[in-house]
Amino acid sequence: MQQIPALFADFSNPKKRVFFGYLLLAVALALVWLVAARGRSWRAAFVEVFDKRVFFSRSALADYQIFLLNRVFTLFISPVLVSQLAIATALFYALHDVPWVRQGQFSHLPTGWVVAIFTTVLFFVDDLSKYLLHRWMHRWPLLWAIHKVHHSAETMTPITVYRVHPLEGVLYAMRGALAQGTTMAICLYLFGSKVDLYTVVGVNVLSFAFHVTGSNLRHSHVAIRYWAWLEHLLISPAQHQVHHSTAREHHDKNFGAAFAVWDWAFGSLHLSERDRKLTFGLPAKEASATNVLDIYLRPFADMARVVHRRMKRLASRWRGSQT
Amino acid sequence: MLKSKLKFTTALAVLAVAGSAALAGEVYGPFPITEKSYSGDKTNSVSYSGQVARHVLHDSLKALAYKGDGGHNAAALEAQMLAYFNGSDEDLPIIAPTSKDGFPIKQTTVNEISKGKNISGKFYKGAMPAWPGNKSGLDVMLQMISMAAASEQGYDAVNGFDYGQLISKFTLGAMPYSQAVDNYLDEKLAADNKPNDKPYKDGAYYTGKEHVWDEAFGYFGAAAHSVNLDPNQNYGVAKRKDLAAADANGDGVVDLKTEYVFGPAYYAAGADKGGTKSTDYMGTIFGAFRDGRALIASADGAALTSEQRAQLVGYAATIESAWEQVLAEAAFKYAGSVYKDINTLKSGEDQDKALRAYVKHWGELKGFTMALQTGKSNLGATAFDLNWLVGFGPAMLDGKMVSDIDADGNVIRGREMSLEDYQVNMLKVQKLLKDTFGLKSLANDATADLAALADKLGATEAAETD
Repeated sequence: MQQIPALFADFSNPKKRVFFGYLLLAVALALVWLVAARGRSWRAAFVEVFDKRVFFSRSALADYQIFLLNRVFTLFISPVLVSQLAIATALFYALHDVPWVRQGQFSHLPTGWVVAIFTTVLFFVDDLSKYLLHRWMHRWPLLWAIHKVHHSAETMTPITVYRVHPLEGVLYAMRGALAQGTTMAICLYLFGSKVDLYTVVGVNVLSFAFHVTGSNLRHSHVAIRYWAWLEHLLISPAQHQVHHSTAREHHDKNFGAAFAVWDWAFGSLHLSERDRKLTFGLPAKEASATNVLDIYLRPFADMARVVHRRMKRLASRWRGSQT
Repeated sequence: MLKSKLKFTTALAVLAVAGSAALAGEVYGPFPITEKSYSGDKTNSVSYSGQVARHVLHDSLKALAYKGDGGHNAAALEAQMLAYFNGSDEDLPIIAPTSKDGFPIKQTTVNEISKGKNISGKFYKGAMPAWPGNKSGLDVMLQMISMAAASEQGYDAVNGFDYGQLISKFTLGAMPYSQAVDNYLDEKLAADNKPNDKPYKDGAYYTGKEHVWDEAFGYFGAAAHSVNLDPNQNYGVAKRKDLAAADANGDGVVDLKTEYVFGPAYYAAGADKGGTKSTDYMGTIFGAFRDGRALIASADGAALTSEQRAQLVGYAATIESAWEQVLAEAAFKYAGSVYKDINTLKSGEDQDKALRAYVKHWGELKGFTMALQTGKSNLGATAFDLNWLVGFGPAMLDGKMVSDIDADGNVIRGREMSLEDYQVNMLKVQKLLKDTFGLKSLANDATADLAALADKLGATEAAETD
């Protein structure tokens, strides 16, 4: 019973996307968007934002159950993961062997510069690593078996961000440790003890900016779009909804989290399309939208199948090389 | 009116007496005479002037280590250093600590403190593998004295030796620490060794156990009132900067016997003063000494019961472990200094000055890692690792370090070691010391920024997926 507040702690934690302040801002943004850009009345906008067919769909109800179950898993899994400090320390040691830089080489730069550089680099590296892992989750069958859980959502609400298999949570935590640990070690090695983070309410100022500008609307039915030029730089909520679309031409597009530049650079960018009606989810033979037991267990069966197929292929290749 | 004034004055007087009684309870002594065979007029059984004399011999020896003129005065200087090390029939002048403006010191010669004392008789004679040549601790010190006497102002810029630092920091372990924890607080606490129902020696005004305990306290080197001073004040006394803090009896001069802070206590206060400021080594060690002494006094000249002795052994264990941590904290701090000095060296700014600071800090690091190996417990693999990581000399700019000193005293520089690799060694030294001795002050922690930043970032922000 004492753990129950911990299950909902994310709603009061500004480091989390579902912090209630960000959610309120997302609602405000959605209303203003629908009224100003789409010409709805305030009343119609309100009804559309709080559409009960979305929030009480069977897919959304599964999201809520997964949210709670994953919180419980997190309590057990988090302590055993490799920390960014372990990675940072190992890399910090190793950097001493790089002949062309020395510790504290740029420590004479003004503190403001150092903090700005670290804050920006950390956000960029973190975002790039999210792009890469996300892309691999779609491209590699073994990882897609896990990531399908997220894409099986047929309606999207801000809670859908938690609709992931626990193994995906582990992979993302390791990615975070690697990205942050690497950035920390390199920046501290080069800039010394001036390294610090610009924060608002304890959050990286850039993450804060990402969240207050509607990150929660990425998983929603409110398709806020940006100008085309801006959608080359930043992923709009509508672009992320394209990523979830069942349309063939939308597959494997818009892997980016905050920045669209990675998609642009690696050829996976897809701009949003005005008034395009999107449907979300996966065919039933791929994943269930609503059966929680199936959602948690099927990835294991799918992964086993992928491994088995690979082994068979390897075995036949080996036999072929013997003859 | 008169009556109420009287009441007020009485209340003040009671408060003053109560207040001074509480303070008197905190300092080390005076403690009453409990030795039944003594009939003289002494009223205080505390005595540790011999240890104070040895601290003074050590401070003076360190000062002499910087008096070499490149070889011309080698023989005379070595003889002079040995007089302080081995003791002398003559009354030796105190070379350090001496009076300076605003800090007058009562004694000017060693005999004014105690006669017939030396360092060598109390010096660690076990094996010292931290120094080349498979020598005993005593032989290592004799070699260092000889090399210091032949040097130019105690500094060897080729091999990276600062003899004053090496001699001083090694001695801080090999004499006071080793004597206190491996002798006075060890076998001399046994029931049949210097028992409490007999005088320490015939005619003495203190019992066996009283004096054993006092001698150990004397080796710690705190002022009798150090416990009432904050770390900055104890530091200020040792640096001869804070007369007000030192002069407990208010006579305007500092009595080295009771009012000065010597090496081991200075480093305890130093660890409390720097780093995370979360430690109280001075309070821990001083408190255990004082409480142990009060326990012995409470036996009133009778043999200690096994319970009392067990309690005393408990105090001794507290002292030993905290004292060991103090030496390790100092080594940790100087490993951090050496790490930073290499950054300065590599930046190319004022190379001579940077090298001088590097060699000085290395001498302190090396000396303290040697000091750690003179205690009661065998450090085993920790000592081996420390000695390998720190080496027989610092890594120098040419990528080499000392590998041996031959029978003729020639230093051989045969080990390859880049400054970068040596920096990593310093990180490993800090980790090893921190993990082995449970250090908390952690001054000059070279990876503290990593831990602080990791703490600030936390893990929560990173785990979000899309």
